[in-house]
Amino acid sequence: MKNNQLRLGIAAVSAVTLAALTACSSGAAAPSGAASPSGDLSANTNPVSVLIGSSGDAETTAVQAGVAAWSKQSGVPAEVKVASDLTQQATQGFAGGKPDDVLYVSTDALAGWAENGSLEAYGDQLSNKADFYPGLVQAFTVDDKFYCAPKDFSTLALVINKSLWTDAGLTDNDVPKTWADLESVAKKLTKGKVKGLVVSNEVQRLGAFMAQNGGGLVTDGKATANSQQNIDALAFVKKMLTEGSAAFNSDVGAGWGGEALGKNLAAMVIEGNWITGAKKDYPNLDYTVAELPAGTKQGTLQYTNCWGIATDADNKEGAKSLVEFLTTKDQQLAFAKAFGVMPSVQSAADGYKADNAAMVPFINGAAYAQNLPAMEGASDVFGELNSKLAKLKGSDPKTILDGTQTDLEAIVG
Amino acid sequence: MSTDTTQVRVPSPAPATSRRGKGINSQTGAGWLFVAPTVLILGIFLFVPVLMAAWVSVSDWNGRGSPFGGTTNFVGGANYAEMLGGRGLPARDFGTSLRNNLYYVVLVVPLQTALALTLAFLVNKRSLKGKGFFRTAFYFPSVTSSVAITVLWLFLFSASGAVNGVLSTLSIQGPNWFQDPRGIIHLILGGGDAPDALSRPGFLGISPWEWMAGPSVAMCAFILMAIFTTSGTFMLLFLAALQSIGEETDEAAMVDGASTWQRFWHVTLPLLRPTLFTVITLGLIGTWQVFDQIYTGSQGGPSKTTLTPAFLSYTSAFESQRWGRGAAIAFILFAIIVVFTLVQRLVLGQADPTEPNRRQLKQDARSREKAASAALDPTVAVQGSKGVD
Amino acid sequence: MARTSKAGAAGERQGYGWVINWAILFAIALVYIFPFLIQVANSFKSDTEATNAGLALWSNNWTQAAYTTLFANSNFGVWTMNSLIVTVLVTAGRVFFVSLAGYALARLHFPGRKVVFAMLIGVMAVPGVVLLIPKFLVIKQLGMYDTYFGMILPLLVDAAGVFIMKNFFESIPVAVEEAARIDGASTFRTFWSIVLPMARPALMTIIILSFQGSWNELNHFIVSTQSPELTTLTRGVASLASGQLSSGNQFPIKLAAATLMTIPVAVMFFVFQRRIMNSTGGAVKD
Repeated sequence: MKNNQLRLGIAAVSAVTLAALTACSSGAAAPSGAASPSGDLSANTNPVSVLIGSSGDAETTAVQAGVAAWSKQSGVPAEVKVASDLTQQATQGFAGGKPDDVLYVSTDALAGWAENGSLEAYGDQLSNKADFYPGLVQAFTVDDKFYCAPKDFSTLALVINKSLWTDAGLTDNDVPKTWADLESVAKKLTKGKVKGLVVSNEVQRLGAFMAQNGGGLVTDGKATANSQQNIDALAFVKKMLTEGSAAFNSDVGAGWGGEALGKNLAAMVIEGNWITGAKKDYPNLDYTVAELPAGTKQGTLQYTNCWGIATDADNKEGAKSLVEFLTTKDQQLAFAKAFGVMPSVQSAADGYKADNAAMVPFINGAAYAQNLPAMEGASDVFGELNSKLAKLKGSDPKTILDGTQTDLEAIVG
Repeated sequence: MSTDTTQVRVPSPAPATSRRGKGINSQTGAGWLFVAPTVLILGIFLFVPVLMAAWVSVSDWNGRGSPFGGTTNFVGGANYAEMLGGRGLPARDFGTSLRNNLYYVVLVVPLQTALALTLAFLVNKRSLKGKGFFRTAFYFPSVTSSVAITVLWLFLFSASGAVNGVLSTLSIQGPNWFQDPRGIIHLILGGGDAPDALSRPGFLGISPWEWMAGPSVAMCAFILMAIFTTSGTFMLLFLAALQSIGEETDEAAMVDGASTWQRFWHVTLPLLRPTLFTVITLGLIGTWQVFDQIYTGSQGGPSKTTLTPAFLSYTSAFESQRWGRGAAIAFILFAIIVVFTLVQRLVLGQADPTEPNRRQLKQDARSREKAASAALDPTVAVQGSKGVD
Repeated sequence: MARTSKAGAAGERQGYGWVINWAILFAIALVYIFPFLIQVANSFKSDTEATNAGLALWSNNWTQAAYTTLFANSNFGVWTMNSLIVTVLVTAGRVFFVSLAGYALARLHFPGRKVVFAMLIGVMAVPGVVLLIPKFLVIKQLGMYDTYFGMILPLLVDAAGVFIMKNFFESIPVAVEEAARIDGASTFRTFWSIVLPMARPALMTIIILSFQGSWNELNHFIVSTQSPELTTLTRGVASLASGQLSSGNQFPIKLAAATLMTIPVAVMFFVFQRRIMNSTGGAVKD
């Protein structure tokens, strides 16, 4: 009888609290209760919060300056937050009903957040919509809805530490144009603590080699992860790793290529436009940029992020106005100058080339750059691939890519 | 109220427990009032969440709005099936996390128990000077935050850190601990390639070769950290038990000619069984839930070799937005912990076979300890072995 | 006679064994203490020196650059303040609620007492990891996500603490309360003015354990907040250690942060160590 009392008591307690909770929930369920008045900016003075995933101090300062300029002009307070884990913080914000108004959205993250309604599809409402590169607009269109304004784009190139280069007795003529060149130059540059080539162990960098060999993870809508071209590309990287002329960032104790370059741990790295941030962190660093060497053809990877606006944002009008401001030609050129990314608007292309002669190899790469696949679930597949690539030195590229092929087939098409 | 008193059977024969005297109503009222905050808070924030998570784990809630809202559907065991039955990426991640955590448990629990017991034994020796210093030194790491210790550990075990520095004085080239994904069993077996026969996907999508990998070098760093931080707490538990056992039995055995080892194994250890049971149970529960250190230190890397089910549950929900999957993982983990605790009870046996549950066992142990110390009190006072220095 | 001679021999053996025992223990104790010395020492070195000469406890170039950068470039002050607010409120709340509940379970007779007791046991049996996601859901449903309320309220009660108080109250002789009852005191009065003051040792234990527990708490804050303004020390230092805000080898800053955050718990530990260690030996809490 005591046990019955016990069970009854527990059931009663849980029933009561669960009922109370459900009652509470139906009240709190409706998202974005406070709709912002349309059109009239001055009526909505909720502060606009911007969540960014910064590549370094240079980017943080530049974004803060741009946002502050808009804030002054519009009279709406705005705040920039730097995320330590952008995806996790954004997801928690969406789920908690208190997202930041504006946030960086990468091509991988777009699919998931668009699908569950966390992001507002405001792209068609932008006044400068026609100015964006069509390829970038395409990258941020899901189900025929243009979700968010591309904020910039970058490609990968080979970045060379000038002082280590000249120390090894190399000149401008020796800049590698083919894989064979790359291998021999890296050997010459490797001595003591310096490694010839230091690269991240992620597909987001090593994928460039696959592109250079005529391969790619997804081709024409079909998963082609374990194609022979990809396998050979990874085999080439593995060869350089085992020879000792190349290493991963983590092996040399660096967080990214810019750090490896700046601390003279690497003579060459493969990074994108954001490498300019390294100059601010390591003032003594002097580098040159060259297009990546070709395998069977020239190839590189292209990255773009957009300014996402949350559906549950407190101040959507303010957010849209901010985004329009930040994607104007002048503002984008200012960002380009600060941390090297390339403007997403076509009208700024000439200005970019004029201002940044050293960065021309990046913009040349745009002609043959590939995008990594971005359908929903892709970032989990990349996570798995990256964890296997970390062991590339001791593994078989075919086995790794066979696994990725299976994973990709599950989500493609 | 005073009239009520006269109507109650005042000369009650059992004074200590049945105070059915004046104020039974106020006792009920007061009783409920006193426990109300506790019941409410624990109920809402511990009890109900478990029910809510159970619902989410059998639904397809996508992260926006209420989980009880209109767009969420019941999907039955789909999330569980995805974890346990499939060959896809989620199942493989879950299998990997289980493997990692299994090695962690299997190494940490025995090692920390043995170390705690040894330290307690050594510190308990009557002739030891400076007991307080030693107790403090061994217990201090347990007091610090797991975040602070993880930060410290990342520094000590970095490629050019203190640990590798010490190893180099012994002419050993230390690995780049937190970046090294190689399993130690693979390393012991010579570090070659996986034989084909063992490479096909097996239980939970992980090949037998991978199951045999052992903890990775990075995971070993975490194992050492766990032992470092929890051995002190358990040492104190053993110390308390040893002190309540007292020296009488040990001395008697010594007089009878038993060697140190015999005394330890046949006399002391059986008396310590309840405490041993508690320590191992707590160890199991704690090690199966390792999260803070992974969150702060390695986030599952390198190569997912420090991924644990608790962390996977968190990332599935808070990063990949697969809330149903995350909740399912948490419940599977709950089941695993319960199973391990039950198995441990079976293996270790129970002090008194008529006590079916853990609470009773603890209470029993505590009361036995109290009785033992009370019995030994006069002699304890004389020998001064209750170390309050 | 045999006994004394054996005891005498034992005494001599103990003479040797004493030294070895002490030496072993001392060596192990050094291994336990050394990491913390390294932590403090390296927080006062430069980045490169910490990376290259981490083992050295002495530096020729002591610098407090790490500490100044820590305060300049991160919200360490905010984090500390948040940790303080939460810890103080949680500790105060716990002492109050837990002693009430413990007293009720120990001394008061009311229907449903067994249910409450079973519930407490049940709660202690649920591993924390199962609660990570669901606590987030409940906090969000109740509308207290990302507020101080959501950070503090769920921590205000702790089942183990209730047990500690209950056990303590059970050891107080009933006669004291009976005397108060006969004098006409209400239940609450009896509790508040008579019994509670006698519980000072147990209350101290609760205070110490609550302080330690809430100061070092991490995963509750991960799920209950997201704003930078509400970040506590644990979350803040964790973000320094990993994620995009930390880079490669800036160890002195991270070590400085870890050192500073350990100081309050360490101070509390050294002041109250005897009580902590005696109570931990008897009452299990992690």
